[in-house]
Amino acid sequence: MFKKIDLKNKTALVTGAGKGLGKACAIALAEAGAKVVIISRTKSDLDKVSKIIKKTKGSSLSFVCDVTNLNEFEKVLKKISRLDILVNNAGNNRPEHFTKVSQENMNYLTDLNMKAAFNVAQLCSQKMVKAKNRKKIGGSIIHMSSQLGRVGCEGRNVYNMNKFGLEGLSRGMAFELAQYNIRVNTVCPTFVETPMVKKFFKNKKFKNKMLKNIPLGRVAKESDVATAVAFLAADSSEMITGTSMMVDGGWTAQ
Amino acid sequence: MGIFLKDINLKDKTALITGATKGLGRGAAKAIAQVGGNIIAIGRNQSELNSLGKELRKFKINYIAFNCDVNDYEKLKSFITKLKKIDILVNNAGTNLPESFLNVKKSSMEILLDVNTKAVFNVAQLCANQMIKLKRKNCSIINISSIFGLVAGQKRTVYSMTKFGVEGLTKGMALDLAKYNIRVNSVCPNIVLTPRTKKYFADKKYNKYVKENTPINKVVTVSDVATSITFLASEASSMITGSSIVIDGGWTAK
Repeated sequence: MFKKIDLKNKTALVTGAGKGLGKACAIALAEAGAKVVIISRTKSDLDKVSKIIKKTKGSSLSFVCDVTNLNEFEKVLKKISRLDILVNNAGNNRPEHFTKVSQENMNYLTDLNMKAAFNVAQLCSQKMVKAKNRKKIGGSIIHMSSQLGRVGCEGRNVYNMNKFGLEGLSRGMAFELAQYNIRVNTVCPTFVETPMVKKFFKNKKFKNKMLKNIPLGRVAKESDVATAVAFLAADSSEMITGTSMMVDGGWTAQ
Repeated sequence: MGIFLKDINLKDKTALITGATKGLGRGAAKAIAQVGGNIIAIGRNQSELNSLGKELRKFKINYIAFNCDVNDYEKLKSFITKLKKIDILVNNAGTNLPESFLNVKKSSMEILLDVNTKAVFNVAQLCANQMIKLKRKNCSIINISSIFGLVAGQKRTVYSMTKFGVEGLTKGMALDLAKYNIRVNSVCPNIVLTPRTKKYFADKKYNKYVKENTPINKVVTVSDVATSITFLASEASSMITGSSIVIDGGWTAK
């Protein structure tokens, strides 16, 4: 009756896998039995993640690649033989008040969080649909969205725009890829203790204000998000598509 | 427990399930027992309660059956307030009497409101109070909602009214119970093949309607829903509260 999270014989690609949520997802998917292709711009980060995966008796393949470079990413895809799962994770944030957002930051965030996310998803989907047994074995794409893909927040207007956009992309993709039995969902975490968020939380006033908005009164752990991603990657969720899994301690319920 | 992948394990947890003898309730009982959870089954049919107990024997868990109509508030109250252990509630008992809006009978409207809304509220309130009284840690309440808690469907006006209500209740409860670390979520399945829906599926037009609205071209199984319920019941989802897991093959993504 209960379908356990089992990713044996599956290959998963994770972008932004060197740090934070991407790293946690890559390791969790490997722990669930997947062969993991990890992508990051920083070789030393990838080496650390590979080492951890190896220790847990998992298997991984790493590629140094900037996902905003379409040609570079295409080359990576050519080097892997199959793909069943994509964790479209690479992303960033540069909080600024709306009236003060610089062109540079707006372009940087939108190119990474939206354009690169679209391109990576499209290229991976094209590869996934080619597998002859795809309809039978299914596939799963998980976009790393955010609670800020559902509600607004101070100083997060560009990030809001990007993540709301990703929510829309995810639903559109879910429709078009359903015929191939490829499911597409997002995970929407609240603040997670990642290197990126630790930087924001150095501002204690901001940290306390944000914690007040989380009814459970705590930030999420990387493992909370990685487990939700693994659940969506596995056949445990084989009828879940076009949805968002909120890992937000109740933030958006208010 | 891996480094980032959390176990879905309910050993030493006790789950109370309403409407436990049939359909989704029975599935939830089996799935929860499969991962080690003890079961308190509430249903109205003694022989079915007995047969569920027999079926769960192989999981070597504790099984308590209580023959009670969820509309019988006093009987429920005297039972729930005497419980020694309760960590999980699967608030499942519910029904449907499809009629087009203009022809909805007063009697059917009242039955649906009593079972799907009032009894759901009462069971949740009694169980939450008992969880708090017993000082249980890491509790989880799962309300069984529906895609018709999110969108409308043919001949589903009253059902939608009750299930949209369950969605609202879920979010409100999540906020009020967060400080006790009791998480509250709903699952929103598409039309699942159960004893109750069998008769709907017998209608060819209805069958076609369901298929055409489900991008992933499959019917949701009891096991699909029971797996999500089990995930929400366990600490694998410890940062998920006030949210809905939508198990609909893409129905509501449009």
